[in-house]
Amino acid sequence: MKIEGRHTVPAPQETVWQRLNDPSVLERSLPGVERLEPDGPDRYRASIKYKVGAVSGSFSGSVELSEKNPPHSMRLKTSARGVPGFVTGEGKLELVPKGAETEVVYSGELQLGGLLAAIGSRMVESAAKKSIEDFFKSLASS
Amino acid sequence: MIPAAFEYFAPKSLDDALRLVERHGDEAKLLAGGQSLIPLMKLRLSVPRYVVDIGRIRSLRSIREEGGWLVIGALSTHHDVESSEMVRLMAPLLAETASEIGDVQVRNRGTIGGSLSHSDPAADYPAAMLALDAQIVAASSSGTRTIHASEFFLDLMTTQLRPGEILTEVRIPRLPERSGSAYRKLHQPASGFALAGAAVRVSLDEVGKIASAAIGITGVAVRPFRASGAEAMLAGKKPSPKLLADASEKVADGVEPLADIHASAAYRRAAASVYARRALEAALARAEGEKG
Amino acid sequence: MATATKLIGKPIKRKEDPRLVQGIAHYVDDLTLPGMLHLGIVRSPYAHARVRSVDVSKALAAPGVVAVLTAEDVQGAIAPIPCAAQIPDMKPAPRPVLATNEVRFVGEGVAAVVAADRYALRDAMDLVEVDYEPLPAVVDLEKALRKDSPRVHDGLADNAAYHWALEGGDVKKAFKQADRVVKLRMLNQRLIPVAMEPRAVLAQYDRGDNRLTLWSSSQIPHILRTQIAAMLNFPEYGVYVIVPEVGGGFGSKLNVYPEEALACHLAIKLEKPVKWNEGRRENFLSTIHGRGESCDMELAVKRDGTILGMRARVLADLGAYYQLLTPLIPTLTGLMICGCYRIQNLSVEITGVLTNKMATDAYRGAGRPEATYFVERAMDAVAAELKIDPAELRRKNFPKPKDFPYATATGLIYDTANYQGALELALKKSGYKALRRQQAALRKKGRLLGIGLSSYVEICALGPSSAMPAGGWESATIRIEPTGRVRVLTGSSPHGQGEETSFSQIAADMLGVGLDDVIIVHGDTSAVPYGIGTFGSRTLAVGGTAIYRCCEKLRDKLLKIAGHLMQEDPAKLVLRAKQIVSKRDPKKSISFAETVGAAYTAKTLPPGVEPGLEATHFYEPSNFTFPFGTHVAVVEVDRETGEVKLVKYVAVDDCGNLINPLLVEGQVQGGIVQSIGQAMLEEAVYDDQGQLLTGELMDYAIPRAADVPKLETFHTVTPTPVNPMGVKGVGEAGTIGATPALVNAVVDALAPFGVRHLDMPLKRERVWKAIHQAPSESAGRPRRSK
Ligand SMILES: Cc1cc2nc3c(=O)[nH]c(=O)nc-3n(C[C@H](O)[C@H](O)[C@H](O)COP(=O)(O)OP(=O)(O)OC[C@H]3O[C@@H](n4cnc5c(N)ncnc54)[C@H](O)[C@@H]3O)c2cc1C
Repeated sequence: MKIEGRHTVPAPQETVWQRLNDPSVLERSLPGVERLEPDGPDRYRASIKYKVGAVSGSFSGSVELSEKNPPHSMRLKTSARGVPGFVTGEGKLELVPKGAETEVVYSGELQLGGLLAAIGSRMVESAAKKSIEDFFKSLASS
Repeated sequence: MIPAAFEYFAPKSLDDALRLVERHGDEAKLLAGGQSLIPLMKLRLSVPRYVVDIGRIRSLRSIREEGGWLVIGALSTHHDVESSEMVRLMAPLLAETASEIGDVQVRNRGTIGGSLSHSDPAADYPAAMLALDAQIVAASSSGTRTIHASEFFLDLMTTQLRPGEILTEVRIPRLPERSGSAYRKLHQPASGFALAGAAVRVSLDEVGKIASAAIGITGVAVRPFRASGAEAMLAGKKPSPKLLADASEKVADGVEPLADIHASAAYRRAAASVYARRALEAALARAEGEKG
Repeated sequence: MATATKLIGKPIKRKEDPRLVQGIAHYVDDLTLPGMLHLGIVRSPYAHARVRSVDVSKALAAPGVVAVLTAEDVQGAIAPIPCAAQIPDMKPAPRPVLATNEVRFVGEGVAAVVAADRYALRDAMDLVEVDYEPLPAVVDLEKALRKDSPRVHDGLADNAAYHWALEGGDVKKAFKQADRVVKLRMLNQRLIPVAMEPRAVLAQYDRGDNRLTLWSSSQIPHILRTQIAAMLNFPEYGVYVIVPEVGGGFGSKLNVYPEEALACHLAIKLEKPVKWNEGRRENFLSTIHGRGESCDMELAVKRDGTILGMRARVLADLGAYYQLLTPLIPTLTGLMICGCYRIQNLSVEITGVLTNKMATDAYRGAGRPEATYFVERAMDAVAAELKIDPAELRRKNFPKPKDFPYATATGLIYDTANYQGALELALKKSGYKALRRQQAALRKKGRLLGIGLSSYVEICALGPSSAMPAGGWESATIRIEPTGRVRVLTGSSPHGQGEETSFSQIAADMLGVGLDDVIIVHGDTSAVPYGIGTFGSRTLAVGGTAIYRCCEKLRDKLLKIAGHLMQEDPAKLVLRAKQIVSKRDPKKSISFAETVGAAYTAKTLPPGVEPGLEATHFYEPSNFTFPFGTHVAVVEVDRETGEVKLVKYVAVDDCGNLINPLLVEGQVQGGIVQSIGQAMLEEAVYDDQGQLLTGELMDYAIPRAADVPKLETFHTVTPTPVNPMGVKGVGEAGTIGATPALVNAVVDALAPFGVRHLDMPLKRERVWKAIHQAPSESAGRPRRSK
């Protein structure tokens, strides 16, 4: 499924870029991520705990940044795999300066597998959108 | 379809239950009718370490009148609500809504407290709660608090309830005179949940104008909502087919509808309008019936 | 028939029902054996991936776990799933019982875990760690056939499993002579069979006797026995397959599955009974699916509605691997594609397409519902374009009763029919003319009533062995026991259809005994003679005929013995009400009991007659049978929401003589309900990565009682000359005849909007879109209802 949208972060482009490249910020901002460990250049191993209402689960996954064009754009790939299946998200982030603020435009694909695809597609899509929102909110306050 | 191992408690009193959920916090799950929780546990999408079965707390299963309010205990099943004379008299919208939930087995097990706490975006009760301006009472070891329905539903399967709290009852205010209500729902053909559900309450004034209207919409977005734009259009006006149609067109304005294999966002929006209009028509007919 | 008919033709209640409704019947999962272990399959969450490694160490160390197997452990020990279908130049796509290096559909097994109880098993399954490297998935049929498509199977040149073509008459000429060519592209969507009882398997091995017993919820106990013996290289005489009660199959249990072989292998290896049973989600993922065919059809027509010729190009979604009959099913669509019409100029091309999905195979109707749907939809498109009433168009193109036996352009010989007779009865019973008037009146008010017809012919009683992959005959052994009770052993394997009752009716009438004097034994390969199984609407027409013929043998023997005792010519005797009576002098009789007794005491047998009363018959039919009928559906569409309400349904079916009208009624009604499912609700939805999105009954909608109005069923009776009872088969008629009638009705309702075709399932949103995006303005803006 396609995921796209835009978010305004109240910080200059350069700052937003730095935050996106700072593993400690990512660890704090990526929803559900409990730990992020380096796993090669621009690549991290993640352990994720997820909870929406009565639904919860543990996943292990990865975060990967690529095609970096500082401070304008990059690709972000995340994947998480656990007992109920897997989620991978891959997309492009563009940072557009808007005065003192930065608009982050994202577009990408979300792929669910296993039980998550079969049972939860409606929920997971909504949950993913919420997660992205939470991510940007958290990025703003980092 | 076997849940992960968990420890099971079956407290007989609310206090005992509150103590247990306080002690185990996030790792505990309350079990009421089990119609939402057990399937999730069997799929291991929910893996609580402790399950606190509140089904034996008799005091939570009651339907009564209290100072003009209809008070429904959290453990009242959908069937209890659907078949209660008192509910039919004081809040017929709730009885009608309960009768539209799932199937007989689900209605015999599922509870109003469980449905509201779980807050599935396609659940039926939330629409009625909003339309009836219900109050939701939550208890914790530090006391109880009352939450207005319009503030209760926060996000996808997320409510005002905090870990350690138990929803104990729902309180419905008395309807104004010359009121009518109706629930209309487009069923998801497989699960029976609402792809779009509209719960409507309208009240007329002496000259037959709409004094106020309340429209709760479920199934359409990540959380249920009041169609306040449509309500405002109706208030103070003489009902006419055109008015109802125009107001109904607006019910999903400003919300981002869900989309899945059962219905696109556009279809959910359109269905919400049609079902809201049909609910309005039925509610008005009932309100007018009351007048005579 | 020499005996007076008393039970045949009567609506006798099912003998099998008391035990079923009381809950005292036994299904596989009701069986428990001492020391029994439980098997679970760890399945792939990817539609296509390389399996880099499978780490079973944590699972093996978990409490209660007895064994964990991967592909390596069974390599050489268990052969792949057999496929009985042979199509020239078919590419190989055998399914290993556990995925070897690649997984090719979501749900494919990668490891088998065995534990002491189901709880330990479930926990341990989560501990098997599989490292997958995702590969691109092949999902869409058209895309799958492109040159640049990824391959489902690496070694194959492309994803086309085979091309199968058939040509009859002179198609080019027909299209040249046509006034018009009507084209339609249609999809007959992939469905999930949803038998009420999912599959279940229990295997037990006795080392002392070298005896392997397999209980399975199956439609084909003997074929299963043979195939399991072959897959495990185990002597077939040591394999005992027992099929206890089966909670529905619809074709999904006409197969051999990995779990059957794995449970047997493990039972032998561990010397403990091993049970596996399927959850609903597993059932959706890894039990065969049905249908999944798309068709581009062109009909060459004359202005008066005469169909001159047909071209059809069918793409069939086979899935990733072949199950028992996978490649064969679409060819049945090809054989039946011209339906009940005189279309002698024809070309059909079928391409079997490999995709990263569960295999398709026989699902109630198996190829014929697709054929009927395609031709019946196309007939309605012709009627609409030529502005001819759909009933009139059909009438015009039917072969006449005198034309039978009728040779089709596809090489079949239709046995006998009166298509128009069935059509006229359906029109009369539905009040067709009045319905059309009502439709016109309602349209003026903005209401959308639709009337849909479907005339069908199907191919049943499968079939002569020459046309079947593994024999088309059926067997019966009948023993009249010394007390006079009759034990009928059948090679068929009824699983809900009610043949314990209809077979009893046949045997009782033939032997002049009561219904309760007869017991029907089936499904136990050590008790009954080898048989083919229950599918293809064959059980009564082939299995029942075997019983009929077998009864004739016993009857002749009884009459011989009685004649000897009575000093009467056996040719002058009849069996009736437990008496053997002289036709010349009805007062002259001897009791059935006495005659049976004489056969066993063997003191006064006629010369040359062996003692005992047992006979066996293997019946080989000379042809298929071709039941037919016309169904009429009436729907009303809610123009605001696209909801379709079925308001009336009339079915006229001709399945030849009716042995038990109540059973026929049950089959017809059940089939129509499944058609409602296909037409309105059901679809196995895979996303573009091959994930099954309708993975549960919460998302895969099947019809419920409330969706079904009273179904009015009628019959014309045109007995087949193919078998002595004149019976044809009715098990699949409903799913074949009803689907197009329903869709035709909805498309007819939407005619004011210029809608020509809609693909199934006719979900509300699809209908709503058709109304709201209609190009035609003739219907005006949808009005609001008051
Ligand atoms: C086949 C099927 C069809 C259904 N169809 C519909 C439908 O059409 N419409 C509809 O609205 N619903 C439907 N449902 C859901 C049903 O209404 C459930 O009963 C309801 O969602 C949950 O109520 P429960 O009592 O079963 O709660 P449980 O499953 O026991 O609990 C659900 C959640 O709420 C929490 N909880 C329960 N009680 C309390 C409490 N008092 N205080 C705090 N937390 C609590 C639990 O911890 C859990 O997280 C369906 C369910 C099924 C299985």
